[in-house]
Amino acid sequence: MVEIDDLHERTLLAPIAHTGRGFYWAVAGLSLLILWGVLAYLVQFSEGLGVTGLHQPVSWGFYVTNFVFFIGISHAGTLISAILRLSKAEWRRPITRMAEVITVMVLFIGAGQILIDLGRPDRLMNVIRYGRYQSPLLWDATSISAYMTASLTYLYLPMIPDIAILRDRLGKRKLLYSVLALGWTGTEHQQRVLNRAIAIMAVLVIPIAISVHSVVSFVFSMTLQPMWHSTIFGPYFVVGAIFSGIAALIVAMILFRKAYGLQDYLKPIHFRYLGQLLLIMALLWFYFTFAEYLTGYYGAEPEEMKVFWAKFTGPFWPFFWGMVLCNFIIPISCLVSLSRHTIGKVLAASLSVVVGMWLERFIIVVPTLSFPRLPFPQGIYSPTWVEWGETAGSFGIFALFYLLFTKFFPIISIWEIREGREGVKEVEERLISYLPGEIEEKT
Amino acid sequence: METSDRLIRALQWVWVGFAFFLVGGIIIWIVHLIRTSWSLDDTLSASIGISLVAIPIFLVFMGVVFYVFWGVAVHGRER
Amino acid sequence: MALWGMVIDLDRCTGCQACVMACKAENNVPAVGAKEAKRGRIISWMQVLTETDEEHHGEKTRFIPRPCLQCDDPPCTKVCPVYATYRNPDGIVAQIYARCIGCRFCMAACPYNAKYFNWHTYQTEKPGQNPDVSVRPKGVVEKCTFCHHRLQKARERALAEKRDFDPNDYVTACAQACPAQAIVFGDLSDPTSAVSKLAASPRAFKLLEELGTKPKVIYLSEGEGRG
Repeated sequence: MVEIDDLHERTLLAPIAHTGRGFYWAVAGLSLLILWGVLAYLVQFSEGLGVTGLHQPVSWGFYVTNFVFFIGISHAGTLISAILRLSKAEWRRPITRMAEVITVMVLFIGAGQILIDLGRPDRLMNVIRYGRYQSPLLWDATSISAYMTASLTYLYLPMIPDIAILRDRLGKRKLLYSVLALGWTGTEHQQRVLNRAIAIMAVLVIPIAISVHSVVSFVFSMTLQPMWHSTIFGPYFVVGAIFSGIAALIVAMILFRKAYGLQDYLKPIHFRYLGQLLLIMALLWFYFTFAEYLTGYYGAEPEEMKVFWAKFTGPFWPFFWGMVLCNFIIPISCLVSLSRHTIGKVLAASLSVVVGMWLERFIIVVPTLSFPRLPFPQGIYSPTWVEWGETAGSFGIFALFYLLFTKFFPIISIWEIREGREGVKEVEERLISYLPGEIEEKT
Repeated sequence: METSDRLIRALQWVWVGFAFFLVGGIIIWIVHLIRTSWSLDDTLSASIGISLVAIPIFLVFMGVVFYVFWGVAVHGRER
Repeated sequence: MALWGMVIDLDRCTGCQACVMACKAENNVPAVGAKEAKRGRIISWMQVLTETDEEHHGEKTRFIPRPCLQCDDPPCTKVCPVYATYRNPDGIVAQIYARCIGCRFCMAACPYNAKYFNWHTYQTEKPGQNPDVSVRPKGVVEKCTFCHHRLQKARERALAEKRDFDPNDYVTACAQACPAQAIVFGDLSDPTSAVSKLAASPRAFKLLEELGTKPKVIYLSEGEGRG
């Protein structure tokens, strides 16, 4: 039998044991969004992509923007969970599960965006049968498959001890939890195996995550189009992904903290640290953006400048300056001083970044296509209800799956909290060993 | 109970088997793409290059999954 | 093997767009309708681009008939994930409609915007179309193929008549239709052909040559005052 700590586990197991009215309202609301998305796709499937606002030359629009955006958010899990775990940051303990779930859910939604964007989704098997590895889309397929596998494994392994607790304590769904718990009884041998496996996955998942968003950026930078063919795209996209991922994670944390009463576990200090990380990423994102646009402006190549001015003062100026406002100005002003009203400021900054990063993806995809090199007749891209519906439905599916997960598995890692509480002495000894002076003898 | 215990064990093997098939399938797919590009004479270098990185990574996944399954489910039955 | 190419003399082009119409008739290019045209979805394998002169605004216009430039190093074939577009041994960049999954990556990669997409089912098979050219379904990319079906027909006719294939038997619809004879088509690998001789002219230039796509449609710039 696994050791039980009644008082603390009751809070963490409560969402699984009981379901309140709020849950059903949330499901109803999300279902409406999803219904809109499903309707939109059904219309598109029967009539063709013509029901969207896409045309020549802007043949990529919302769907590709959403693809990059959702894949970007998936970096939340890796950064927080893997990097903080490897750097032994104790404050990660209540956050890791939420982060890992975001990654898994959002990867499927992101990959789905490409399927929705295809003119012939019925021919999807052609990618499997006739795939060409010279095409960045196949690099995408491979690295996203690797990332899906890695993040699923990296989510599942640390869940095993928690599933064992559910198997023993919950009473319902005993078969499911018994199968998934793999006979976990908490013996030393099992713990050693699991910790080693988690450590291996933590090290492996970081380069895979970096490769995923680099490869997504290569879809654009491997072409010859002005303001796409840039070497900065790989690192730029990775930085943007981590940036948007942290923001999405913070929003999810605040929502569930309120909904499930997790104030004891997700304290202002956690949001403060995450807010500081968000601030660093905002500054880093700004640096990359500045480098990219300064280079373009200084070189003043005519075709690049057409796109450049379109973003700065031309038809795309609201989206470009909106992006700067949401990604830089608002987060900086909210996050510089986090001692008071921490959670409110961090929430405002995160929501702003989520919007701003979506605008950033849009600003990358559409203006370049809108201004071709040759005097091709131009048009303005204006998305239709189908594209808005698909976007809404995608967010809805992501939120719904996330919500359903919290009903089956604990959203905060019970055993990691317990490990943290029991390991305080070890942490203290470790911290002392960093300082000069007497070396503590290992017993 | 004996029967439910055996059912659970069987389902756990199915669960691990599913993981194996998924990862194994992806590896087979990558090899298939190498062969296709070789027979069509179409940038074999790209296929080989990517598979040199991708296939070992997927093999590591399979290894980790099996290691955990063996260590926790099969061997971890001792009290 | 032949290397099929084209020379378009911009000094002769009047912008009449007979080439566009001939291409549409020959290749079953659908008329998308006024509503779709307003939304920017005209399919025009051969398209006449208009470029106003920078120095004489509104006075001089340059007409550039732009088919697919059949690049020898095509940026579009590199990025296709399913081998639906590829450069065949004749030097023509082919398009396999049955393979295309409609991802539109090739459209995003082509610097000449020579590729078009079927945003709806713009037409079905019906009498009056050219039976030698397949009718494209919705959701696939299409583009100029240098009337490749005419090459196949010419080769088959030569085989049936038990004679050698004569390059002059194969001409694209646009080259055939141009009333000013601005479009000359032929085998660039044959130094005695008309295309090769014209391509060596001092007026010859290639569109976006600096990108390294090695296009096989060569333009001859206008006479005095330009080029």
